[in-house]
Amino acid sequence: MNPAIALPSPRPFADFLSSARPSHAKAKPDAMEQPRPDEDKELVSRTQSGDVRAFDELVVKYTPRLYGLVYNMTSNHEDTNDLLQDVFAKAYKSISGFRGKSSFYTWIHSIAVNMTLNFLKKRGRRFHLSLDDMDASIKNDKEFLELTASSSPVREADLSELQRRLNEAMMKLSDEHRAVVTMFHIQGMPHAEISKILRVSEGTVRSRLFYANRQLQNYLEEFRKNPVS
Amino acid sequence: MNQPNEDEIGKLLRLKRYEQPPPGYLDSFLHEFHRRQRDELLKQPLWRICLQRAQDFMFRLNVPALTSYPAAATALLICAAIISMKIYQGPAQQNVAVQNQTPVVSTMIQDPAWSLSAPVATRDLGPQPLRHTNYSSHTHRAATPPRYVLDSTPVSYEAAFRF
Repeated sequence: MNPAIALPSPRPFADFLSSARPSHAKAKPDAMEQPRPDEDKELVSRTQSGDVRAFDELVVKYTPRLYGLVYNMTSNHEDTNDLLQDVFAKAYKSISGFRGKSSFYTWIHSIAVNMTLNFLKKRGRRFHLSLDDMDASIKNDKEFLELTASSSPVREADLSELQRRLNEAMMKLSDEHRAVVTMFHIQGMPHAEISKILRVSEGTVRSRLFYANRQLQNYLEEFRKNPVS
Repeated sequence: MNQPNEDEIGKLLRLKRYEQPPPGYLDSFLHEFHRRQRDELLKQPLWRICLQRAQDFMFRLNVPALTSYPAAATALLICAAIISMKIYQGPAQQNVAVQNQTPVVSTMIQDPAWSLSAPVATRDLGPQPLRHTNYSSHTHRAATPPRYVLDSTPVSYEAAFRF
């Protein structure tokens, strides 16, 4: 991330965005990589025949990706950890009934999203943001290094301010809209995959995404006008 | 000022990918998962663990695919046979209980002092009392009828009065 994006001086929003990473560049390419279905099939088959270590491999493989999904829906690290443990526990219990009609990727994401949505309904509006730190790999980013060479504490504070604003804007969305935004914008899933996971039509996914984007535009407009609050 | 468009929103949100859990979290996640699984397993009652293992076993054998009418009928017959065997084992246990009482009775008869074959006149009662104080405890009086055999013996049966 570019710390200059949150300088107190007023800047056009287009500049603000252009200073960020390009859209095609992936911050965590490993975490967002699409898993190979054949590999998953074999691991699932081994798990179903009693090989516990095969399931461990699935846990290790999917934890980073599912963590991102659940974390961006809850904006709380502790809740995410508990939910993720429950997701894998449920997956392990029900994997004997997994017949491979969908990919394991879709199946495990479906469990994670449904459990998170149920959790959010119970939690209601009583929550507090418990945000993770920015990944240390950001320090290896070329633009980041160039800009932090002349970094000041104000800029670092603005970086966390941006993080807080983004999360607050996300939390203003309804749970269903946040799920779609997380999967599409943050996780980079296609509409078709999201529709399979949520078991809704692609049209519904697009509609939710359109509505959520409009809401986010309004919330982030305030941040654009007044980057430091 | 124009509002940010959809693409700009997407670019902003993609920055959230940099938010990552604390270092070492992903490494310790699997250990935490194993620990929770063990804890949950220990909380379950034994019958549920057995049931789950049986279900896993059945699933591994792919029993639903193998199940057919003859197999189901055979299984039903086996179950019926086992149940009927269990039912008919009941009376046999009662016989055992009766046999257990037999030695108590036989010890009473084998006592030479109380045998009817010996004449009353020659019966040597000896210095020992007719009834031991601790003898009654061996005979389980509550379970056996009272022993009035000596007193109820008809006089005509006693050899000492025969002329």
